[in-house]
Amino acid sequence: MAAGTIWKGYIHFGDSNVPVKLHSAIREERIQFHLLHRRDEVKLRQQMICAYEKQPVPVEEQTKGFEVEEGKYIIVDPEELEQTAPESSRVIEVRKFVKTGQIDPIFLERVYYLEPDINLKGYNALVGVMKEMDVEGICTWTMRKRSYIGALRTKGKILRLNTLRYADEVISVKSLELQKFSLSEKELQIGSELINKLTAPFQPRKFENEHEKKLRNLIDKKARGEKIAILRPRRLKPTAPDKLLQALEASLKKVA
Amino acid sequence: MAEQAIWSGTISFSLVAIPVRLVKAVEPGRVSFRMLHSKDYSPLARRMFCPEEDIMVPPDEIIRGYEIAPDKYILVTDDELESLSPERSRTIEIVEFTDMKEVDPVYYDHPYYLVPSKGGEKAYRLLVEAMRRTNKVGLAKFVLGEREYLVAVKSSEGALALITLHYSKEILPDDDFSPKEGKVEAGDKSRMKRDIKKMMGDFNPEKYADSRRKKIMNLLKKKAKEKAPVQAPVAEEAEGEGPADLIAALQESMHKIKRNR
Amino acid sequence: MSRRAVEIAGRRLSLSNLEKDLYPSYGFTKAHVLDYYRRISKFILPHLKNRALTLKRYPDGVEKDFFFEKRCPSHHPSWVKTEEILRDDEERMTVCLVNDLGTLMWVENLASLELHVPPARAGSPETPDSMVFDLDPGDQANILNCARVALILRDLLAELRLASYVKTSGKKGLHVYIPLNLKETTFEDTKKFSKAVAIIMQKNYPELVTAKMAKEYRKTKVFINWSQNDSSKTMICVYSLRAREKPVVSFPLEWKELENFAGRNDTENLQVLHSEAVSRAEKQGDLFRDVLTKKQKLPHL
Repeated sequence: MAAGTIWKGYIHFGDSNVPVKLHSAIREERIQFHLLHRRDEVKLRQQMICAYEKQPVPVEEQTKGFEVEEGKYIIVDPEELEQTAPESSRVIEVRKFVKTGQIDPIFLERVYYLEPDINLKGYNALVGVMKEMDVEGICTWTMRKRSYIGALRTKGKILRLNTLRYADEVISVKSLELQKFSLSEKELQIGSELINKLTAPFQPRKFENEHEKKLRNLIDKKARGEKIAILRPRRLKPTAPDKLLQALEASLKKVA
Repeated sequence: MAEQAIWSGTISFSLVAIPVRLVKAVEPGRVSFRMLHSKDYSPLARRMFCPEEDIMVPPDEIIRGYEIAPDKYILVTDDELESLSPERSRTIEIVEFTDMKEVDPVYYDHPYYLVPSKGGEKAYRLLVEAMRRTNKVGLAKFVLGEREYLVAVKSSEGALALITLHYSKEILPDDDFSPKEGKVEAGDKSRMKRDIKKMMGDFNPEKYADSRRKKIMNLLKKKAKEKAPVQAPVAEEAEGEGPADLIAALQESMHKIKRNR
Repeated sequence: MSRRAVEIAGRRLSLSNLEKDLYPSYGFTKAHVLDYYRRISKFILPHLKNRALTLKRYPDGVEKDFFFEKRCPSHHPSWVKTEEILRDDEERMTVCLVNDLGTLMWVENLASLELHVPPARAGSPETPDSMVFDLDPGDQANILNCARVALILRDLLAELRLASYVKTSGKKGLHVYIPLNLKETTFEDTKKFSKAVAIIMQKNYPELVTAKMAKEYRKTKVFINWSQNDSSKTMICVYSLRAREKPVVSFPLEWKELENFAGRNDTENLQVLHSEAVSRAEKQGDLFRDVLTKKQKLPHL
């Protein structure tokens, strides 16, 4: 069952215009809990409370402020903010094409499926060409008052649009300031061999959300009035640096 | 040591265990605003409110419940949640590796970094290097808070990145969007090829800036110049001076000092 | 942009724009700022330790735009200690803790001329370790008026057996600190107490003191800002520079010293410049040391 169309636009580059419809690619499902008041198990509601009056504040009395200094705010009213919204446009402008594989998954945000709009105009051709040349398109567009950058990609016969994070939203590895550590070629070789031996084809279907299942069981058990055993999480003992090679070799033996 | 982590524990593959901490890899760039009371500009806070007793409820009086029937709940405590998968709440066990190229990007959800805790630096570096050499990602399950995640652990610019993945069930099918077989104009293809060739380059994320964010910041700068920012005033005044004992003691002390000055 | 890599207390740092003049009318560059903080570090670090830092950054000097940051800049070296705290609106936020010289230098390299910290430690943000009175003179009042108020305040508190300590704000006012350092103290306690004190002061010295924030009440009076006793509020850290025309410091004074100045109508000497701060601190030690250690309980609550 297909999700509804979220937005319509058209991909533009050079002389090409390919009209498309965006669809969600993901639907998350999980057990929802409510927050309750301990003593009477009444469902709680979230309210915006004034810090000083300690009373709930109705929506009409709420306004947005940007804190410039301790306790000092610049008030922004909704119309002014509206005016900063980008001009609405339906164009998904491709700025450049890059070879696939350049974009680190850390940059990926949301993914949309693109359905051809208006009689396939150019859609199949674009899919074909992008596949042949093994490229992705870096695009910019505005949607629902926000500006986006994204990657236009192919998968099978379909085009997908993956929104990307802005560069300053990704924390650089440099700032983690990890230590350099020299490793022996032997350790690296055995490590690589071990990884290769533990490699399997990517079959995500075999990973189920077992936690959800266990959670449902827990809820059923409690509903029946059964007692629940509390287990403590166990921590694994870390491998000491001088025992690393040993652990690698033992692992290799184990999987062989 | 360094950063306070979102989670700390161990990452393991086969018989190797590496102590690590989970830290943020991304930080939203949007301009964030505070919600204020338009009457006096005091900041608003989100609080949980009990509609029956008409009062605010502090965090220690809040419990988690699953609704099995209207207004009928099964309560679940933090301990009980942690007991569901005790091994997985402190360990990320990589059960297998897979080729980077095989992972369909649609699976990627949210990224984090793993940084080594004391003593784990060497093993950490080994895992990073070995995964980089072999171009593989490690797949694991782990529990964070209320949820269990399927995750991909990969090397990224010399660090370990952990990216949560969507479960297969959560990925919507895309067959409905499959274009019905249509004629592909050869002219279209060669024209596109030509245009694409001209537009080839490298991915440089720094080249793109969030224009809305810039506009908002400019608006704020402009407003700051026009008018001084508002400040939330101190609310209560004369009435409600304070505990009677204190006021009395203060007044008495005041008399004494005035006499001596 | 010029950069220089240095090693400070075992940490590698890349310092930039050292020659940039941050106090142009006085002639005090970033190198001077870093040098000041390095020299004062052994006095200021205990007062910054384990407190959520609010940076007040002047990248182009005191005459240009500043911005303040409560979040720890995400591109911080891994050895900078941080803590995750819960803000008023339930959002989690990562803050910097200036716990060592390296971090202090890193923060100053970001031109955070002023360092502001809360009266509680990051690990226990709802437990104030001191109660503060922020004495703020109205437009037509000055630091001398503040000095008089501070001295009365000291006497009043002493009657209740509470020891107090005073420092210059570095601007027009004075800050009076009452060390508490007890686990049971809450912000509700310090707010209630300080408010009551402020109101009694206003009642008894109405020409000199006001407890009301609104500008129209303040003009010739000294406002006792008791509302600073709040988990969301910060005060300029003792020994921090101020972003004024000259690099003055928020510096602790001996009560006797304040009495002498108040008696002599000597406003000039109440402002302590960077060089004087260093030499005085080295000579007399940290006059605010007891604020971190003395245990006192607020009576009559």
